Amino acid sequence: MMTTVAAPASTVLHPNAAAFTVEAHPIERRIGLLFAATGVALIAAMGVLGLIMRLAQATVISLSPAWFYRILTLHGAGMIVACLLAGMGALWYVLHATVSLRPGWMLATYALTLAGVLAVLVATLVGGFGAAYTFLPPLPFYPAGQWPVWSESLFFVGYLLVGAGFCVYCVDVLERTTSTYGGLVRTLGWHYLRGREETAPPPQVIAALVVVINGLVTCVVGSTLLVGLLGRTYASSVRIDVQVAINLDYFFMHELANLTIYLGAAVIYVLVPRYAGRPYETTKPFVAGWMASLVFILTAYSHHLYMDFVQPAWADVFSEIASYGALLPVAVITIYSMTMLIWGSRYQWTLASTLLYIGFAGWAIGGTGAVIDSIIPFNFRFHNTTWVVAHFHTYLILCVVVWVLAFLAHLLERDAGRTSSRAARGWTVALILVGGYGLTGTWFVEGMLGIPRRYAIQPPGTSTYSLVGASFALLLALGFLVLFLQLAALARTAWIRRHSALVEHMDGWTGMHYTALASRGDDAGPSPVESRPLARRGVPLAGPAQLGFAASVCVIALAAFFPQVVHASEAGIRYTHLDNAGIFFFGAMLGLLLGSLPAISRALGDHPSIGLATVIAVPTLMMLAMVPSIYEHYERHPLVYTYYLLHNAVLGLLTGLGATRLGAVAGRVMFVLSVGMPVMFAAAMK
Amino acid sequence: MTSLHYGSPQIAIGVTFAVLAVLLALAFGVIAVQAGSEVAAQRVHDVGYWLRKRWLALLLVIGVLVVGISLFDLPFASGGADGRTVVKAVGGQFFWSLVPDRVPAGTKVRFDVTSIDVIHGFGLYDPHGHLIGSVQALPGYTNELDLTLGEAGVYRIRCLELCGVGHSTMQNTFTVAAR
Repeated sequence: MMTTVAAPASTVLHPNAAAFTVEAHPIERRIGLLFAATGVALIAAMGVLGLIMRLAQATVISLSPAWFYRILTLHGAGMIVACLLAGMGALWYVLHATVSLRPGWMLATYALTLAGVLAVLVATLVGGFGAAYTFLPPLPFYPAGQWPVWSESLFFVGYLLVGAGFCVYCVDVLERTTSTYGGLVRTLGWHYLRGREETAPPPQVIAALVVVINGLVTCVVGSTLLVGLLGRTYASSVRIDVQVAINLDYFFMHELANLTIYLGAAVIYVLVPRYAGRPYETTKPFVAGWMASLVFILTAYSHHLYMDFVQPAWADVFSEIASYGALLPVAVITIYSMTMLIWGSRYQWTLASTLLYIGFAGWAIGGTGAVIDSIIPFNFRFHNTTWVVAHFHTYLILCVVVWVLAFLAHLLERDAGRTSSRAARGWTVALILVGGYGLTGTWFVEGMLGIPRRYAIQPPGTSTYSLVGASFALLLALGFLVLFLQLAALARTAWIRRHSALVEHMDGWTGMHYTALASRGDDAGPSPVESRPLARRGVPLAGPAQLGFAASVCVIALAAFFPQVVHASEAGIRYTHLDNAGIFFFGAMLGLLLGSLPAISRALGDHPSIGLATVIAVPTLMMLAMVPSIYEHYERHPLVYTYYLLHNAVLGLLTGLGATRLGAVAGRVMFVLSVGMPVMFAAAMK
Repeated sequence: MTSLHYGSPQIAIGVTFAVLAVLLALAFGVIAVQAGSEVAAQRVHDVGYWLRKRWLALLLVIGVLVVGISLFDLPFASGGADGRTVVKAVGGQFFWSLVPDRVPAGTKVRFDVTSIDVIHGFGLYDPHGHLIGSVQALPGYTNELDLTLGEAGVYRIRCLELCGVGHSTMQNTFTVAAR
């Protein structure tokens, strides 16, 4: 005789958390696990590469400079992408309960990102590309005999693919959150902040929206630079202004690295309350803090360029203020309010919740090191020393990576219904803290000594520091190994728990009762969580006033075709490109206008995926078409050149039409960003 | 024997950071201990928000002071090169060219720093191995770095920006002769 009994109640979350914690939908778990597990696997592999470099600097192992820089490039790129991937998966997991994100788009993000990683892997390990993950233009074109042209191209294509993947993710989150919560301004909590509404969207939604807006700007800036460099790879006639290129480069890379933290920050608003037993509510200071972050995240990047004295001094001072300003929402809102949430809460200490907690300390301590480096006179003494390596490794290893592992542990603990032993957790935390802070602390001390970063061969007499650092790195690796073993044990329990059920038996002979595990049938998981119905997506231009305005702008933009304007623009490459960007803008505005007309919109149908593919691919094609070696042959034949100009307008038209398929908010945002790409491209040329 | 030594500004900044890091670690330690206790949410709310306003005010005051004071010590060259000895510093894979490569002690020097190929970092170390300042070397641009080199001896220039496979070997010396 058999009776199925309920599985034991989950002991991993705070008892009060049941009131505000929904059970994860199967697709959320799967996506979360896929992204987190892939991210963790990549982090582990890249961590091993980091250890190899530190051992080589300590002269424990022999590594040629050529291989050192290949590994350095792969390590940096791989780590950033791994953290990004896992962060996207974690945010998707916590958002999906209230916002119906598209699993198909998420899988497209996954495929594009992994394709990008594969390209970078081949470019570095096979092609020998070693210009660092920041690629520092024009370094890719001066390989000093170390890498062929194809490897630098493949590296750029790899980054473009990662950027495209992130872009798909950002557009999905942007479009779905704004559709669910009634437009961009309302979803950012602006109406609530101004007292016009009583309630605001949940904290993770506001934070996610800020992250994806910044993410889209980052993708656009990165793509513009990468396409320009790709053009330069095969056409030496492309002259890129180094000052503009390095600004775009540091904007792109700083944002990408920075956004991995903010992705994590959006996730902790959901996860930490589950262990503290207190819900995290949106407040006005919270909304104001994220508004400030929206601006400061975008403007802080140029602290990387303080030592380029040709940058305007006001830009440096503004960046110093922005860098300090970025600290305020983090210190006063996110970390502070999380500690309030935890204080006196009978916090449920599990593997996941412990890792979440130590991540706060990593963010605070690493951030403090970063703010010190962003003070201009201090930067004068620390610029490009290992101090920089120290502070970003503090918040990447001891905050972002730790949070990625916390997310994976959270998934597995909830499925397993248990956490790991107290002793195992204690050893893990001790090893990670001692190893992690020992590793980064050594870099801080080396930075004080003035040791430059990215040295394959350390200055004479300083390799002992590398040896100390490498020893701490080994402790850190041991800590992660102990952690992985616990995750594996939790995964095993979770698997058994999901595929088996506790069944009560009665022995026919003795009449004794006992329970045993029996195979569970097809486990469909909990029924899908009903998401709020989506508001009508709409089109970017609604109503006669907006359509009329767009029509007027199209008429004005026609000036880009005037023979006098075209002729005058040929005075210089930058002006030629600006005119081409103007023609593209005309086409895009016309496309936006036409695609927003009710009759044409109906005829085009509801195809957001095609729209998104168009707004990503077509502006990229437009920038490739702006490479001088492609169009300079046409300039000699008026008819062919006219065709070329029309072709640019058609590319714009397609982009505009594509944007209209993305809905009102995402359509407008992508239109503006798409048009911005050729304009930025023009500015970078000389 | 190490070729580098800790400079006084670096020690001051490093110690300040270490103190702040220890204070933060202690704060997180205390919060972790208190996390296990039970305090009414309303009480945490009331005290926490009261304290948060002061925390924000403190950070704002520190920010205004630090950013304000930093503006008086900006390293950017200003004005013309009158009264300064101009040293043309040109970086290339993987060398530094300095013309002239020798000045008398106490000379006010303006380094005109540029590059013939990729971006390099001009890091100047005094005869004791202290990093006394840096500026980027960009192709097509000239960055001006003003310094007064009071101490005689052999200064060393190291590249501070990844510039290729020979980055860690890219260095040269600059002599400040005793008067």
